[in-house]
Amino acid sequence: MSDLAIPTVQAKVKSERSSIGSLHMVQTASILVIALVIVSPLFMLLIASLKDDRFQILADMGSFRAFWVSSPTLSNFAEIGNLSGELAFGRYLVNSLIILASTVGAGLIVNSMAGFVLAWGSLRGRALILSLVIALYVIPQESIIMPLVIMVSRAGMTDTFAVQIVPWIASPLYIFLFYQFFAQLPKELFEAAEIDGASVFRIYRSIFLPLSLPALATVSILMGIESWNQYLWPILVTQTDYARPIAVAIATFFGQDSIYWDRAMAASVLMMIPILALYLAFQRWFVSSFVGSAVKG
Amino acid sequence: MASVTIEQVRKQYGAVPVIHGVSMDIEDGEFVTLVGPSGCGKSTLLRMLAGLEDISGGEIRIGGRLVNDVAPKERDIAMVFQSYALYPHMTVAENMGFALKLKGGDKAAIGKRVKEAADILALGPLLDRLPKQLSGGQRQRVAMGRAIVRHPQVFLFDEPLSNLDAKLRVTMRAEIKDLHQRLKTTTVYVTHDQIEAMTMADRIVVMRGGAVEQIGKPLELYDRPANTFVATFIGSPAMNLFEGSIGDGQFVTDGGARLPLPAGYSVHAVRTYGVRPEHLALSENGVPATVVVVEPTGSETHVVVKIGSADTSLVLRDRIDLEPGQQIAVAPDLSKLHLFSASGTRVN
Repeated sequence: MSDLAIPTVQAKVKSERSSIGSLHMVQTASILVIALVIVSPLFMLLIASLKDDRFQILADMGSFRAFWVSSPTLSNFAEIGNLSGELAFGRYLVNSLIILASTVGAGLIVNSMAGFVLAWGSLRGRALILSLVIALYVIPQESIIMPLVIMVSRAGMTDTFAVQIVPWIASPLYIFLFYQFFAQLPKELFEAAEIDGASVFRIYRSIFLPLSLPALATVSILMGIESWNQYLWPILVTQTDYARPIAVAIATFFGQDSIYWDRAMAASVLMMIPILALYLAFQRWFVSSFVGSAVKG
Repeated sequence: MASVTIEQVRKQYGAVPVIHGVSMDIEDGEFVTLVGPSGCGKSTLLRMLAGLEDISGGEIRIGGRLVNDVAPKERDIAMVFQSYALYPHMTVAENMGFALKLKGGDKAAIGKRVKEAADILALGPLLDRLPKQLSGGQRQRVAMGRAIVRHPQVFLFDEPLSNLDAKLRVTMRAEIKDLHQRLKTTTVYVTHDQIEAMTMADRIVVMRGGAVEQIGKPLELYDRPANTFVATFIGSPAMNLFEGSIGDGQFVTDGGARLPLPAGYSVHAVRTYGVRPEHLALSENGVPATVVVVEPTGSETHVVVKIGSADTSLVLRDRIDLEPGQQIAVAPDLSKLHLFSASGTRVN
């Protein structure tokens, strides 16, 4: 290389560095804006839940005071965090947790088993069943909700935990997700286990299920969010506090005469905590599962 | 250990037959290789033996027991797959001990058997590793370890060396052969590589289009191939075949070259004249040929020449300077000729 070429190369390196630097700045700024848009309502919610004057909360909305609390208090949480009585939000939270844990737990077992059998089982009409499962997915929940209400009320299941869990355990979307995940695992794994002497259930339990952590995490999160946010169904099938979930209970704050913003904000914070914890617990596999499916050829 | 008998076994997918009545007897402790080009049905036959594919007709017996409808786990066989099929979430020890655990053996006994197998395959230091932490050769050894730890009656290998590089393949070939000599377990080994088949097997089964072309010891197949397919499939470089007919005590190729025959040879139904590259030598009184390509390998020299209109391979042990375009004369070793009829079957 000649001496003249060296400054040219240095200039090129410098210009590349500066363009990488500006790209980095644009990236950071974009992420910051997105984070602000997403985080600011949550932050506002948290701040409002620490204010004990519901009229003040209303007055602060629309200004920067919504993001500031001068004398924070947990009195709203103390008021609603009861296990019985008028403001039994402790109980509603526990109810929601029971429904969430049962639906997700049973859902993981049932949907993964169904997905496994559709992917690897030697049952007749497998392709037809799979097509039906996919077809079921396009039917909106709301369209079947009234016949379902009639069915469960005739079965005497209303106002129970079971009525909020059982209908939502099996889901065409999650069966299909598991099916897709299991189907892409190599056939030789199944055959090697078969030759090793494993039954079909043992192959599912000992080989395929431990390999499906990303799918389990994805389904846990999606199913958890779906169960946690159920509103229409519990309104229709619960009449008392016995099995009422927190999402329905929060709506009672928004009465015709007045809105209890302070308690509603505290209840919303309570409602957010478990689902955030679930997401954080499974986030690593959830993200890797989406990345995996994105880069797969 | 057990013998294996395959009798008139057929397989069809819908209306399409893929295995057409294959029969063979594999003796107790024998190492048999199924070899043939892609799609010849060798892997399907092995999978039928393992119980991974249904049998459309015929009988398979392992140790005298009819196993047509017996589940794979009841056949007392172990299989090594081309992709190794190791359980990714289990350590080497867990992979090797999985079958024993399913049988309900106690932990100490399983550990002892796994350790024995690991010692045989030099896997001792790797027992706590996951498959992803192993090299290709090590994974291959774990797959074999998983098979031998069960002390099965029959080992089935489905192209186990195909995913390894050339050098490692040679090493593993020797290891598998050594393992068989130590354990003396009946082994059926599928490969498309005829060198693998030749070097490892007690007997080779050459297959084509779902049928057996020839069964025999490696050198039998090499020295007396039953037909033109086996003649060209076994041996590298492949046997030279010339199409033509016999006239005036010589074989006249369609390209006009005149090739010598043994004195007094009188069978006229010869359509194909075969000679292996190593059985052709330079000779002043030989058949005229023109050098096309010269490929020195060090130990020998591969030469492609034109005899008549046919490209012909020669393998010369001596280092001789030859140039493309040079006129030479070559003569076949008349005691090692292979003559085939119009249907391709051997006539001499």
